[in-house]
Amino acid sequence: MSERLPALREAIRKLLPEVEGVLGLRRGPAGIVTPHLFVAERAGELDALAIWPKEPLPDVLRKILKAHPTAKLAVVCRRCEERGIVEMSKHAQIDLARVTLIGLQCTRAEAEFCRCAKPATIHARITVGKPGEGVADRVTDDFLKKDQAGRLAFWKEHFLHCIKCYGCRNVCPQCFCNVCALEDETWVETGRLPMPVPPMYHLVRAMHMTAKCVACRECEETCPTGIPLAIHFRLIARDVEEMFKYETGAAIEQSPPHFLVLEEGEYERTGLPH
Amino acid sequence: MYEPKIIGFLCNWCSYRGADTAGMARLKYPPNVKIVRVPCSGRISPELVLRTFREGADGVMVLGCHIGDCHYATGNHRTAKRMPVLRNLLAYSGIDPERFYINWVSAAEGEKFATVIHQFTEKIRAMPPFSEVVG
Amino acid sequence: MIDYRSVLSTCPYCGTGCALDLQVLDGRLSGVLPAKGHPISEGGLCIKGWNAHEFVGHADRLRKPMIRKNGRLVEAEWDEALTLVAKKLGAIKAESGPDSIAVLSSAKCTNEENYVLQKFARAVVGTNNVDHCARL
Repeated sequence: MSERLPALREAIRKLLPEVEGVLGLRRGPAGIVTPHLFVAERAGELDALAIWPKEPLPDVLRKILKAHPTAKLAVVCRRCEERGIVEMSKHAQIDLARVTLIGLQCTRAEAEFCRCAKPATIHARITVGKPGEGVADRVTDDFLKKDQAGRLAFWKEHFLHCIKCYGCRNVCPQCFCNVCALEDETWVETGRLPMPVPPMYHLVRAMHMTAKCVACRECEETCPTGIPLAIHFRLIARDVEEMFKYETGAAIEQSPPHFLVLEEGEYERTGLPH
Repeated sequence: MYEPKIIGFLCNWCSYRGADTAGMARLKYPPNVKIVRVPCSGRISPELVLRTFREGADGVMVLGCHIGDCHYATGNHRTAKRMPVLRNLLAYSGIDPERFYINWVSAAEGEKFATVIHQFTEKIRAMPPFSEVVG
Repeated sequence: MIDYRSVLSTCPYCGTGCALDLQVLDGRLSGVLPAKGHPISEGGLCIKGWNAHEFVGHADRLRKPMIRKNGRLVEAEWDEALTLVAKKLGAIKAESGPDSIAVLSSAKCTNEENYVLQKFARAVVGTNNVDHCARL
């Protein structure tokens, strides 16, 4: 971790004159790390540059770009954040032409923390650090071994603690909808705790994360009660990869499956009757 | 005796007319399926299916036009993409995915309609009521 | 120049005191992020904390004291408002006794404000009818 920080600082310093700001992380006065836009006029702030714990930057980038429709920015992004930014560009939320990516590679330890299989960026032309080895997501794999009754009991037990803080949605780097289905009383009953079966909030959210989850694990990190939320989203991501050969935020030219009609061979992979 | 409550979402142009065809041919099928007519099976959002289970349905069916025959050209493509993902999600949540049935029935397929309703009703009848799953 | 920064603060809503990072874009509050690594909130927030920033710039917030005159609320100066309150509370205390007045405090107040409020109730009004919104 310590070798990447000076290299990242240098990369940002070189880029500062060319863009209106570089979005990264800064260690504040209380030692808390937060998103921060570094600008050339205050380059001294780079002394407080930080890289861990990571924060969900794609939505922050989207907000700044939206508020400044002609500005060119750079952003420090790990693989998951890069995926988030690329995916958002497909939904017309971020204009990639105005964004320079600084790819921060994750170490093996960081990959283990996020249960991440691919800790290396693929689009960023400027990269910092050498990626560690990806790890398998053992938590999700172990979950699949449970039978139906086991799975139901697992989620019932965990969702008993859900306080509907909406933190998982708020912190998600891919959640940008102005009108959120989770705030619609038709689907999610207001004031209903604990979670009913089926857990409407979580299942509706999981369906809306189809072909959007970038496996950043921020949802699990922010959950005040420690629910292993990523399991649902990652299982769906695997299904999307298998059925529609689509990996969120990977190929920039590939449109998400919900935009298109069925492609060649997709119907056979859905498991629907012929 | 347990009589399963099943909600069937039928698209107006194909499967609903298939139900009419079954009716006109006086074909018999169990009365457990309450039919909701929608313009297109692509209109059925995952939220709607989940809400139907939440309201206590023991089984949910989505019947649309065959791929390529959709009245709105590609509406059923959305069905074919969203519903299988939802079905898997039900399985990941510990809810038997067999409770959720997706198929294509055209306006002329009255016999297929009756068969499908019959088979699905019996399958749901053999499973415990959804209220027992909820606990 | 674009300005985007975070300001570490404490949630005003309950006694837990979770830390939140107010997101400030070009001088305006744009959102909230939980403070990761904070010893109390450990990077989580409840639904009130997640929306704690919303009231700050809300259009409905009072900007000046308001007094109801002829059935309508009109803006007033602080002196006029405070004089009116002191006069009316004094009249109620004289007519119905100090225990006819109660003081209700809030978790959104600081400890110091709560201290002043109970001191006001006990020493100025002369009643011990003091309570706090968390008990209701």
